Amino acid sequence: MTDLVVAPLLVALFTAIATLPLRSAQRVQQAVSVFGGVLYLVAVAALVRAVRVDADGYLVYELSNWEAPFGITLVADDLSVLMLGLAAVVSLAALVFSVRGIPEVGQRISYHPLYHLMVVGITGSFLTADVFNLFVWFEVMLMSSYVLVVFYSGPDETRAALHYAFLNLLGSAVMLLAIGGLYATTGTLNMADMAEYLATVPASQTTPVLGLSALLFAVFALKAGIVPFQFWVPDAYRAAPAPVAAMLAGVVKKVGVYAIVRLLFTVFSVAALPPGLFGENATFLAFYGPVLLVMAIGSVVVGGLGAVGREDLDGLLAYSSIGQVGFIVLPLAVAASAVPGAGAEIPREGLVTLGITAALVYSVNHGLAKSLLFFVSGALSRTLGTVRFDALGGVSERNPTLAGSFFVGALALIGIPPLSGFFGKLLVFDVGAQAGSTVVLAVALAGAILTIAYFTLAWSRGFWGPPSDAVAGASVDRSFVLVAAVLAVSIVVLGVGFGPLYDLSYAGAQAATETQGYVDAVLGGSQ
Amino acid sequence: MSTDTDTTVIARTVVRVVVPVILLTAVALLLQGHNLPGGGFIAGVLTVTAFALVYIVFGREFLQRELLHVDDDGFLGGSIGEYGRTFTFGLALAASSGLAAIVVGELFAGGRYEFITQGVWFVYHVPVYHEIEIPTALFFDLGVYFVVVGALLTILAVVGRE
Repeated sequence: MTDLVVAPLLVALFTAIATLPLRSAQRVQQAVSVFGGVLYLVAVAALVRAVRVDADGYLVYELSNWEAPFGITLVADDLSVLMLGLAAVVSLAALVFSVRGIPEVGQRISYHPLYHLMVVGITGSFLTADVFNLFVWFEVMLMSSYVLVVFYSGPDETRAALHYAFLNLLGSAVMLLAIGGLYATTGTLNMADMAEYLATVPASQTTPVLGLSALLFAVFALKAGIVPFQFWVPDAYRAAPAPVAAMLAGVVKKVGVYAIVRLLFTVFSVAALPPGLFGENATFLAFYGPVLLVMAIGSVVVGGLGAVGREDLDGLLAYSSIGQVGFIVLPLAVAASAVPGAGAEIPREGLVTLGITAALVYSVNHGLAKSLLFFVSGALSRTLGTVRFDALGGVSERNPTLAGSFFVGALALIGIPPLSGFFGKLLVFDVGAQAGSTVVLAVALAGAILTIAYFTLAWSRGFWGPPSDAVAGASVDRSFVLVAAVLAVSIVVLGVGFGPLYDLSYAGAQAATETQGYVDAVLGGSQ
Repeated sequence: MSTDTDTTVIARTVVRVVVPVILLTAVALLLQGHNLPGGGFIAGVLTVTAFALVYIVFGREFLQRELLHVDDDGFLGGSIGEYGRTFTFGLALAASSGLAAIVVGELFAGGRYEFITQGVWFVYHVPVYHEIEIPTALFFDLGVYFVVVGALLTILAVVGRE
């Protein structure tokens, strides 16, 4: 049964390999690629079931039969499988979209193998319990995404991809430095082992670990595109083909969020903060709480204001995803500050779990809704050749299903009941209210208003009104409409039947904060 | 008849001697890579170095027609298609060598072997060597070797054509 942990990884890897020699038989290649996406979804579903029902929350897999902490361990817990589930759904939708959404020559050359290798990297990042292995999976994911971003290889795309590659290479170098430093100071790379060790270190000796963890955190923030590391986001998303942009915004960003949650709340939450920063008995989270709060506020404001002024749909969506990640980080900031011993705030266990739950629910909602919106934008750009607002207009009249899907996605990000986004927003506000923090509430409110503003602009300029000349003469490929509609329906279904998503997110949040359970599962499993 | 662009006799003679030595070193590095310095990557790079020397001194035509027996035509056909198949094969071999552990474990050991679990065979009483060690890691290294050779030759062919 534990082989299920590695199953999604293997499915994606072998799909990538299988699509490589099929480059001359395009239909077969596409069929294999999409079938691989379906199989990935099945493998993830089986893993979710195994973790949630059959195992008691943790499935541990020791690669190559080397015992933790010496070998590389893969761990599937509630947090990992939640993120994997999101990845599987968005990835399959993006694959179906790609069949018609990527020019045929591009698909022949390299698209499908690269795409699946990116999924391999994403899967590995969600599963690994080893900090250095996390770096390796990041690289696997990034190597493929570099090529996918530059896919159209025009001047704009090349420039954007150059920035993207340069920044991420810099990030990787910093990450490697931080991991090397952590290995030198803690003597281990295994996350569980590191957490166990850090819990025993007296506060006076944790200063180097704090600095190194901050370096690591900066790299994760770069991946997640949180202010002040957001500057690569708009160009890269605009340059990437629509299904890739959907994956980058919907899933790859969440890898950064996941890494922040996993490292901060599972590993570094047990380390005692050097005295003098936040009083006695504080943990690292007390330091990261305010940092996260400032970054979240920055993201919400920069993303929101940036999105309002955009002249094209892709740019608007890219800035919007900066703002929305702010909404994910905001409850995380509250959660970090609410950990017992965090100093100024009143420590409350329940609020920590609730904060992470809110972040996870919001991540899933944003992953689905934002990828849906990128699909709509991609469908328009593939049909019309442009997504500038002055060329759009009246899509709702020409193609009500596509426009309706956009509407659902936009409403989900704004947070209208009964869509899944409503609960995401509700939980964020709830976290702010329970923490009694007017700052959090004010920022969330401002962000919500900005979200309404830019989506109203997008709707009225791009989709409402009489069809523009370009729109009137165009007919959108059915597969695009189908993908968008299916995602829109799934957003509605997730919102109406919100229970399972909440339960899984709540379990994920508990898994993230249960350091002892994680340590026992990883290190105990080997004896 | 020689022109200014031709390589010298010295270069051609040296390459003729050096290339076999390089290839032999590559094989040695490949075989010892599982527990000594070496491995599939460096062996692959060395092999391509040998090809690159031939390429520089005797020309691309000679390398592709006479040594590798591939033509170059079309974007995915010809030499580049051939090299692409090489690294596809390598990738499949490397990944399958990891999967083999699970399969063997399921069949013979009650599912106890995890992905990329390795084993080793010892062959005794071999003339000259006396004892040879055949690790399963060799298949992985071989896969890496083909990936590196295929990928680098692709780069060489694409860049060389321009």
